[in-house]
Amino acid sequence: MRKALILAIALSVLFFTAIGCKDKGNEAGGSGATEDTVKLGLYVSTTGKIATFGTDTKNGVDLAVEEINKAGGIKGKTIDLRFYDAASKAEEAGNVATKLATQDKVLVAMGEVASGLSLAAAPVFEQNGIPMVSPSSTNPTVTQQGKNIFRICFLDDFQGSACAVFAYKELGKRKAAIIRNQDDPYSTGLADYFRLKFKALGGEIVADESYKEGTKEFASQITNVKAKTPDIIFLPCYYNDVALLSQQIRGQGIGDDVPMLGGDGWESANLIPNSKGALEGSYFGNHYSPEDPSEHVQAFVKGYKAKYNTAPSSLAALGYDVVYVVKKAIEEAGEFDRAKVRDALAALKDFKGVTGTFSIDEHRDARKPISILKIQGDKFLPVKQIQPQDVK
Amino acid sequence: MLELLATAEPGGTSLAQALLQQVANGIAKGSVYALIAVGYTMVYGVLQLINFAHGEVYMLGAYFSYYPAKWMGYTTDPEDPTFVPAKVPLYVVGFLFVCSMACCAFLGMLIERFAYRPLRNSSRLAALITAIGVSLLLQNGGIMLFKADPRGFPTLIEQSSVDLGLVALTNTKIIIVVVAAVMMTGLHLFVQKTRPGAAMRACSFDMRTARLMGVNVDGTIGLTFAIGSIMAAVAGVLVAMDQPTIDPLMGLMAGLKAFVAAVLGGIGSIPGAALGGLLLGVTESVVGTFSTTYAEAVAFVLLILVLLVKPSGLLGKSGREKV
Repeated sequence: MRKALILAIALSVLFFTAIGCKDKGNEAGGSGATEDTVKLGLYVSTTGKIATFGTDTKNGVDLAVEEINKAGGIKGKTIDLRFYDAASKAEEAGNVATKLATQDKVLVAMGEVASGLSLAAAPVFEQNGIPMVSPSSTNPTVTQQGKNIFRICFLDDFQGSACAVFAYKELGKRKAAIIRNQDDPYSTGLADYFRLKFKALGGEIVADESYKEGTKEFASQITNVKAKTPDIIFLPCYYNDVALLSQQIRGQGIGDDVPMLGGDGWESANLIPNSKGALEGSYFGNHYSPEDPSEHVQAFVKGYKAKYNTAPSSLAALGYDVVYVVKKAIEEAGEFDRAKVRDALAALKDFKGVTGTFSIDEHRDARKPISILKIQGDKFLPVKQIQPQDVK
Repeated sequence: MLELLATAEPGGTSLAQALLQQVANGIAKGSVYALIAVGYTMVYGVLQLINFAHGEVYMLGAYFSYYPAKWMGYTTDPEDPTFVPAKVPLYVVGFLFVCSMACCAFLGMLIERFAYRPLRNSSRLAALITAIGVSLLLQNGGIMLFKADPRGFPTLIEQSSVDLGLVALTNTKIIIVVVAAVMMTGLHLFVQKTRPGAAMRACSFDMRTARLMGVNVDGTIGLTFAIGSIMAAVAGVLVAMDQPTIDPLMGLMAGLKAFVAAVLGGIGSIPGAALGGLLLGVTESVVGTFSTTYAEAVAFVLLILVLLVKPSGLLGKSGREKV
């Protein structure tokens, strides 16, 4: 008797849930919009290895969605954000992309941070004709997946070249040393582009040293670098390695007159405490700076701090910008139609975001400046913006 | 190589100087390998067991000083961003070393008691697989407990470069070399001159006869694990002091290198572990003068060559297979 009762309840629950799902699916249609809402998809990883990246991005996205909805939504429609966790796994990114495309039928999808995950999801959106905008995947192949795939961050080739331009033109450095992580494509990519550009400008690469993933002791590499008396050291690595490298570089007696320089991998709240002052006066390229005095950036930083009680990282800023990019594209498209929104995204010009003013180029990548930040005390101070035309 | 000679310029250093400096770097690196390698070599000498969990004891050695330091307020990752880490007084540094040594000694004996002793009379392969299991358990347990993110280690000693005439080393590296030399000498004297040391040698020679002669075999094996773990703990804290971030997988590569050093020196021999460690460290560094990309590969090829000529290792006794 009791078994039958439980079974009946379970069945009816299942039945009504199924009906609920079906209803939701029906109202979506092809445009991702209903009478008063517009469905946008977000897939980033809030669990797993790269959970911090995804969480920061999602925080930025949530803040932007909240702001837009408070201000009346997009063309009068409230944003209905459909979020799925990609769990730091490529296959999961593919699964949630399918969910967003076929079940939620979103108008535009936003995600992922990691290029590998974006690459897994991009074909799904491409096949379903849904525009996808990645906030922060830097690998060149991501946007080559199809005409619906966009990104709003700069690429590693630009980043490496821009660092070389900054070192040569702004700092007047002529003899650069590089220490790279030979097992990491991000690191070797940045190092190669820096090397190429610095030489093309007329500078000399006096040392190019490598280390293996997981190395903590860099005495050999630093001894070689020191012997060549460089005037700048390029460290295209992630912050954990930079914290150790910088201390050992200063520890082996390479003085403060030889600054260190790196890319967006340096950005972390842990960089300054873990490097113990060794990075004072060094520089790195980043997507934006929370210390940027412009009103737009400061309003974002204030809003973010009020909501999450911490300063926004670059990934949070890119997450915030991606929502406004989508909003602008929908407004310019004039209607809630995927093909029109795609065209508007492709034609996006002079978008003013917190990560700089940028346009989308013919490769569906963002043409945008890189902010060079200087490390002073416990702050990252913006010192220079390198524009795409400065590098070409 | 020619390129290196050509680009040596005023203010820079010559090749000879660079090589000398790399030898010094290598000795510092090798001292750490040696400290960890004795743990492998002592256990092998007594039990013919390769204790793969030893690299994890080294990792835990670093954490066993990180947490007490944190609880006393010496930390680099506080919640409050305006926090300035306090300078760690010398007696606290000493306490951290002792604390880590004691915890690791206990842990080493624990591993022996619960993972290896029940298998002492089963096949060597079973014990070896258990060792790998313990190693994985400690690594993943570490990731669960301490989180995979590397942690900043507090500054135990302010790093500075010390000019030693021909070469320059950071003070922390000099401390590593000195402490390692003292510990290794002390260990050698302990094994050669004291009664527990004699018991250890007896067990290594023939465990059954040693027991018949009244040697407390279980106690001696426990002691062997404790001493090996103490050396690994010291290495862990020294390295964390020199390279101040620690993570749960730091024992993996260090353990592997130390194991290779032990084999190179002749596994089972304590002076062999010291020699093997130094040789491996110096080779890696010197090869690194020419190419840091291939430093490890070339170093390992050299090791293979040494073992081809002398299969039992540099100071290993050949043909002491027990029957």
